[in-house]
Amino acid sequence: MNVKRRVAVVGAGITLFRRRLKETGKELSYLAANAALESAGMTMDDIDCVVMGTAPDAFDGIHMKADNLLDGAGATRKPYSRVYVGGGTGVFSPIGGWWHVASGLFDTCLVVAEEKMSPCIPHPQTAFRTIWDPIITRPLNPNLVWIFALEMNRYMKTYNIPKEHIAMVAVKNKGNALDHPSAQLAAKITVEDVLNSETMVWPVQRLDISPPSDGAAALVLTSEDVARKFTDAPVWIDGVGWSLDSAYWTNRDLCFPQYVAEAAKMAYKMAKITDPPKEVDFAEPYDPFTYKELHHMEGLLLAKKGEAPQLTADGVTQRDGDLPICPSGGLLGVGNPIAAAGLMKCCEMFWQLRNEAGKRQVSGAETGVAQAWGDLMQVGTVTVFRR
Amino acid sequence: MAYDKIRDPRRIMHVEGDMEVDYIYTAGIAGERFFVALRDKEKLVATHCDKCNHTFMPPRMYCDRCFAELSNWIELPPTGAIASYTITHEDNNGERLPEPIVLAFIEIEKTDGALIHQIGEVKPGALKIGMRVQAVFKKKSERTGALTDIRYFKPA
Repeated sequence: MNVKRRVAVVGAGITLFRRRLKETGKELSYLAANAALESAGMTMDDIDCVVMGTAPDAFDGIHMKADNLLDGAGATRKPYSRVYVGGGTGVFSPIGGWWHVASGLFDTCLVVAEEKMSPCIPHPQTAFRTIWDPIITRPLNPNLVWIFALEMNRYMKTYNIPKEHIAMVAVKNKGNALDHPSAQLAAKITVEDVLNSETMVWPVQRLDISPPSDGAAALVLTSEDVARKFTDAPVWIDGVGWSLDSAYWTNRDLCFPQYVAEAAKMAYKMAKITDPPKEVDFAEPYDPFTYKELHHMEGLLLAKKGEAPQLTADGVTQRDGDLPICPSGGLLGVGNPIAAAGLMKCCEMFWQLRNEAGKRQVSGAETGVAQAWGDLMQVGTVTVFRR
Repeated sequence: MAYDKIRDPRRIMHVEGDMEVDYIYTAGIAGERFFVALRDKEKLVATHCDKCNHTFMPPRMYCDRCFAELSNWIELPPTGAIASYTITHEDNNGERLPEPIVLAFIEIEKTDGALIHQIGEVKPGALKIGMRVQAVFKKKSERTGALTDIRYFKPA
């Protein structure tokens, strides 16, 4: 890989995540972008270009919504582009920002991710119904939850995983979110609460699943030279990776997210990481469902196949464990405004690596990995941040 | 490629579908102030950026030039000048309209912005760019807090 220059993260900002916010998508974008600029000690004059990450237009209900969001993202009369890989967009957006700066084309890039899911009536799930192939799959009227239920059941059966171990992910993440000021579903719950919650599509229960949300997040990326002018504590984007598997979900391995592994290998190679469980200090894998955090830990090669549940049961993934996973509180706790949720994970890495995570702080963290997943459930997007 | 002139897609193997989704859009921080003033006071609300000396119509909660959050809200009478207009004779399906509709780009006085709206109470031949116009509102009981609370603009 021929990377022309190193890219730093020098600022991060985020809005509240809530089921419904009064602000428009533009206004949410503005609040996150402005917070990121303030955190970087910069103004719009310092920004050369803007990258917007935002997932399906059908959520906000505005066709070509990145154009609608342009002025809120501070991109009026600047080079502006949208990146989009469905649910993987949030972690893909700093990758888009990264290539703007790593290529040498720009010195600074403001990365904004927005999602406003509340306009979609009666439920954002309605919009997902039309992502399936209209000929082969849609006549069965699928929804996302039952697709995931098939995957979860297969994962549990293959590795003989007790549901209690999967439920521990919800307990941990909602508990971690108690310390996150943006959190929508922070709660102190027990494994029994999860197991006793309403069965939606077996084995997926109410507390296994993240909520629809409104929210936005932003990062400021710069070249190394510019970073040194603005901060003594830049965070480096040392690895990026992305990969898409076949869009035929019936032709993929239900037990192992190979597309995440391919993306992770690309990012680790760039970051010169050869032994991920040893060299990664904490991770923010995508956790829209409880089992997905475990699935993605394995895809990120942080756990052997089928072993992430046991690590969770052993407390390894707690914030004070050997490999903290989702110290932010994740999508299950902080909320899931799709693209903004993925970028929230990158914001968390920035704060953790700068020792600015407050009560969420993981001690001694030097290397973090964030990952998102989505599109037709076959995209993996990965970033490695270091201090 | 299998190509034959196909006029009726139902005559070949097919699946029918739709993409029906409904929406409720929030007006937002700036939008809510704008529509409440329109509905309740027959006023237009703009925001002013003191640094850039720019007045946003419709109002925004931030300046897209310097990125400052804006707190200077100004109430203005609903008057402006036609900067451009068009006369539409067909509807969106290409059907002839019983009466042509005049649509105008109306620069709102004391702002740097404009609203798009219909023009009424004037013969198309009498329209002029630069013509001053004022809003004609629906009856108070019929207003919902939307741009359509203004029925049209008429010559002032």
